[in-house]
Amino acid sequence: MLPCTSWGLWRSAILTLKTFRASPSRRGLCIPTRAVCDAETIFALSSGHGRCGVAVVRVSGPASSMVLRNMAGLTQALPSPRTALLRRITDPQSKELLDRGLVLWFQGPHSFTGEDSAEFHIHGGPAVITAVLQALGSLEGVRPAEAGEFTRRAFHAGKLGLTEVEGLGDLIHAETEAQRRQALRQMDGELGRLYQDWGYRLKRCLAHVEAFIDFSEDELIEDGVLNQVDSSVRQLEAEIERHLKDERRGERLRSGVQVVIAGATNAGKSSLLNTLCQRPAAIVSPIAGTTRDIVETSLDIGGFPVLLSDTAGLRDSSDSVEREGVRRARQRVEQADLTLVVVDSTQLPPDPQLVPAFLQEHLSTVLPSPSPEAGMEAASDRVLLVLNKSDLVPEEQRERTEGELRESTGLPPACFLSCYTSTGLEDFLTVLQSRVKTLCGDPLSGAPSLTQARHRAHLQQSVQALIQYHQYRDQDLALAAEGVRLALTHLGRITGRVGAEEILDIIFRDFCIGK
Amino acid sequence: MLAQKLHLLRHNFLSFVSSRTGSDLTRRQYDVIVVGGGHAGTEAAAAAARLGAETLLITQKITTIGALSCNPSLGGVGKGQLVREVDALDGLCGRAGDWAGVHFSILNRSKGPAVWGPRAQLDRERYRQFIQSELLSTPRLTVLEGSVDELLVSQPNPEEPGHHRVTGIRLVDGSHPILSSSVVLTTGTFLSGSLFMGQTTSPGGRIGDVPSCAGLSYTLKETLGLRVGRLRTGTPPRIVKESVDLSLAQLQAPDKQPTPFSFLNTHTRCKPEEQLPCYLTHTTPGVETVVRESVHLNCHIQQDTKGPRYCPSIESRVLRFPGRRHQVWLEPEGLTSDLLYPQGLSMTMPPDLQLRLLREIPALHRAEIRTPGYGVQYDFVCPTQLTPSLQVKSTQGLFLAGQINGTTGYEEAAAQGLWAGVNAGRTALSLPPMALSRTQSYIGVLIDDLVGRGVTEPYRMFTSRAEFRTYLRPDNADLRLTPRGFEEVGCVTLRRYEKAVSVRDGLQEALMALQSVALSSTRWREKLGNISLSENKSTTLNGLDLLQYKDVSFEMLASAFPECLSPYFEYSQRLKIEAVYRPHCEKQSREMERIRREESLSLPSDMDYLSLPVSLSQEVREILDRVRPNTLGAATRLPGMTPAGIVQLLNYVLRTGQRNRHTEHRNQSSQKEGGKGQLCASNIPISQ
Repeated sequence: MLPCTSWGLWRSAILTLKTFRASPSRRGLCIPTRAVCDAETIFALSSGHGRCGVAVVRVSGPASSMVLRNMAGLTQALPSPRTALLRRITDPQSKELLDRGLVLWFQGPHSFTGEDSAEFHIHGGPAVITAVLQALGSLEGVRPAEAGEFTRRAFHAGKLGLTEVEGLGDLIHAETEAQRRQALRQMDGELGRLYQDWGYRLKRCLAHVEAFIDFSEDELIEDGVLNQVDSSVRQLEAEIERHLKDERRGERLRSGVQVVIAGATNAGKSSLLNTLCQRPAAIVSPIAGTTRDIVETSLDIGGFPVLLSDTAGLRDSSDSVEREGVRRARQRVEQADLTLVVVDSTQLPPDPQLVPAFLQEHLSTVLPSPSPEAGMEAASDRVLLVLNKSDLVPEEQRERTEGELRESTGLPPACFLSCYTSTGLEDFLTVLQSRVKTLCGDPLSGAPSLTQARHRAHLQQSVQALIQYHQYRDQDLALAAEGVRLALTHLGRITGRVGAEEILDIIFRDFCIGK
Repeated sequence: MLAQKLHLLRHNFLSFVSSRTGSDLTRRQYDVIVVGGGHAGTEAAAAAARLGAETLLITQKITTIGALSCNPSLGGVGKGQLVREVDALDGLCGRAGDWAGVHFSILNRSKGPAVWGPRAQLDRERYRQFIQSELLSTPRLTVLEGSVDELLVSQPNPEEPGHHRVTGIRLVDGSHPILSSSVVLTTGTFLSGSLFMGQTTSPGGRIGDVPSCAGLSYTLKETLGLRVGRLRTGTPPRIVKESVDLSLAQLQAPDKQPTPFSFLNTHTRCKPEEQLPCYLTHTTPGVETVVRESVHLNCHIQQDTKGPRYCPSIESRVLRFPGRRHQVWLEPEGLTSDLLYPQGLSMTMPPDLQLRLLREIPALHRAEIRTPGYGVQYDFVCPTQLTPSLQVKSTQGLFLAGQINGTTGYEEAAAQGLWAGVNAGRTALSLPPMALSRTQSYIGVLIDDLVGRGVTEPYRMFTSRAEFRTYLRPDNADLRLTPRGFEEVGCVTLRRYEKAVSVRDGLQEALMALQSVALSSTRWREKLGNISLSENKSTTLNGLDLLQYKDVSFEMLASAFPECLSPYFEYSQRLKIEAVYRPHCEKQSREMERIRREESLSLPSDMDYLSLPVSLSQEVREILDRVRPNTLGAATRLPGMTPAGIVQLLNYVLRTGQRNRHTEHRNQSSQKEGGKGQLCASNIPISQ
């Protein structure tokens, strides 16, 4: 669904490389007289979103120098390329001071992307980052980058080596995966429902306009179809605008690395949560199925923000409340950056040689079936196995099992641990911390503020496109319809792409169209 | 020109008769053989011959060449665009429509020129006359009456992809084979066709014609192993005009001034005042009752388990949308015909019930039926087995066009016929095949949708299928296609080419002239009187900017700057349209460029997707293996395809350099397309 977002951009880059030479200057009727600049200017937070001292925001594209001038108050000359300069960074509209930080200017082609680029090294607090990103988004011709867009441009400019090019497929996959996870999180809940609803209504509007264009001369398209579209479009426009203005209405974005504890019932998941946050946040009992809903708690692990969730034990249940809990648990696992799969060590096969296969089997029941190309490799980066209740397993057997697990391949790292006695806790924390650190340093694991900025940009463009509908409504319905189409494309960047066949489905469902 | 036509027809009739039997053939070997004389077949044969290929058209009955077997009309919204494009490539149907039309109108007048739908009611007799005389006066084209029994195939040419190669055909009469380099099959609904009326079914593709193609069906399915599907269509009863009470129907007048389909014609044969009206009436609750009471007597409808999403017959209309009024158009069948065609009343119930149903409609309360309506079920070849040149992927030299590919409609058939004919001709003349881009034409959209996605219901053209609808307009089809049709394809005659070039140059000059007149908006207001301009006073606007405004016409500007603009009066409408859509087309040019690039990257048709040594999921492999997309563009539009999958695929193809000669040819031609073919698209260089 969402991977489509950056897809068009990628394709065009790759294809441009191929047909690079085929752009002779041509004379033709419609050649624009103005030089229209094709490349838009993009920005992104290039450092991770963890608690870091300095955050780096990168800007690339023809408007980079304008951005630098406007935000760093450089009225005269630009700084000499690749030289850091300490500046006051201000909001270009309100002139309000956002931060003091280093700015750098890279004149194309001597930059990562080969285009004119700029970097802002600002303080790492979320408030500062958000303010700077929003200020950037308010500049004309500047928009948040899609996943992988910087790399795409670098590729395009021939800045990537052959081996990097060959790895592109994996890279795109990783980026779209990260974006998908991030989107799943954002789309979960009220905000998601809101966008889906807009998408649905917009689709209907478009279908009805298209029906009116293609069929009203031959078929009986009821009077007033267009009037209905008019008012629906106006309503949508107002709703999206209100949403954009009222920032409080946006849900609090869950920030931090999403770590989810999952596993069978009574494996000790809630005990693990309590152990990690050093307080009894979740109820623990020997009764299987004690935890039914998700218990969330914010933690600081090695200086990085972590949102830890405990979930209901996974089992088939006839109890509808528990079934819902299991559904939520599975959903949460799908959205997780890191999943801690808790296993009751006493349930492991007594023969250590059989343990790897057993765990492999067990993982496949807990984790979502991997997306087509991810495979186990990708999953193992995002999973830790916690073998709980190690105090109930004989020492000798545990050691042999550990040896066996070290030998085996294809399994995520496994740690023996006893939440009861805290044995093994320190080793486990070391592993967990290094994993969280990797995830935090990776900008791909999703900075919510950036996603939010992307959404805002697309929503704004949606509204602009809907205004086009009204502008052309009486003059040219074909152009008016393009407005709705465009609005839907932008919304589709958030909720998923809409194809021509889907529109035809609605047309044929809502109207009686003959041969 | 038109007056000469009848004379020609009479003159040619003798040679026509002489070519009626197989034994009279002057040769046994042709470059191209076209099977079928419908809309696809006639365009295919004419196009191949225009290209310079010795062409043989084989049809069951010479007298039915160019017959309109269903509705007596041409064009409409989306379909009219196709007619204009076929004409721009020098096809027949546009000029035939101008010759045979008896009621012309531009549909969607109020909705913007991009979606205008040129349409005409036709005189069946005149249409047939025109097509027949045109074919007979086409050099290098021979027409033969006969039924094809067998398609002759042999081993493939190893340098080209494919498992077979077509070498000719054998006729039913058992005579010796007729050889050719290419064969175009346009057999319409005759592949395993069966006719339905009430509870009776009989083999056939059209009422009154002998069933045929059993041998062909066998070759396609068994010898060549092509996947086929089954589709259905239908036609309404024909009503005796005298028996209709037209005073109870609403008169629908044609346009006062008929607009010709063809870029070559300035007027139609039918004079404005000679045009015939249409009539509009509606179904009543009684119609619904008759349908419901007759369902058990209606095989066609009973079998309609997995019908199309739209409503092909009155039965499906009232069953799916009960309790509504449905429109019925009463259309003339010709100047001298005593029949009316009730558009919207296609039905398959027993004839006595058809009469009962008709008489439930007030205007038809005394109606008499001349021939009852009936349904047809027929096989079509799943078009994903074709290349964008409409050749069967597995069989070198075999091309398919029209309903056999799962489409419906004359215009869709003509468009495919023309393009299949072009490529059959090119193949025979050892030229590389060519594809039309979906960014350049509705024909390109049609073919790309067919070969890229396949069909589940008869495919009909809608403007909403074209993502670049504001550029693919009926007014600029000549600029989009004619120069390329002459310079690269070879299917356009010099006369038409020269005309298109002079129009192009004229428009270009006119646009420059418009841009050369620039004033502040205050001054414009003074010059043109009270017009509302949104720009503030000091903004300078040129003539082209101003022409975008709703209330501003070219004539107004020309009266303000007569010396500069009056030479271009003949283009006033086209200039106005161009001005309105230009900014929008510019915005879309980036997306167009992307699609064009993707279309130019071919995937080898013999690629073994199931064992390709790249990381692709089994699911994606199976999709690719089943559909075997022709280009990367087609692959990206496949449902279930992932971005990473595409990149893997592309990397693999580029790395191994597996492209064979065939594909390289296509690459070259597509790249060319980006050059000369791109007439009107704003070609903004990608400056990244």
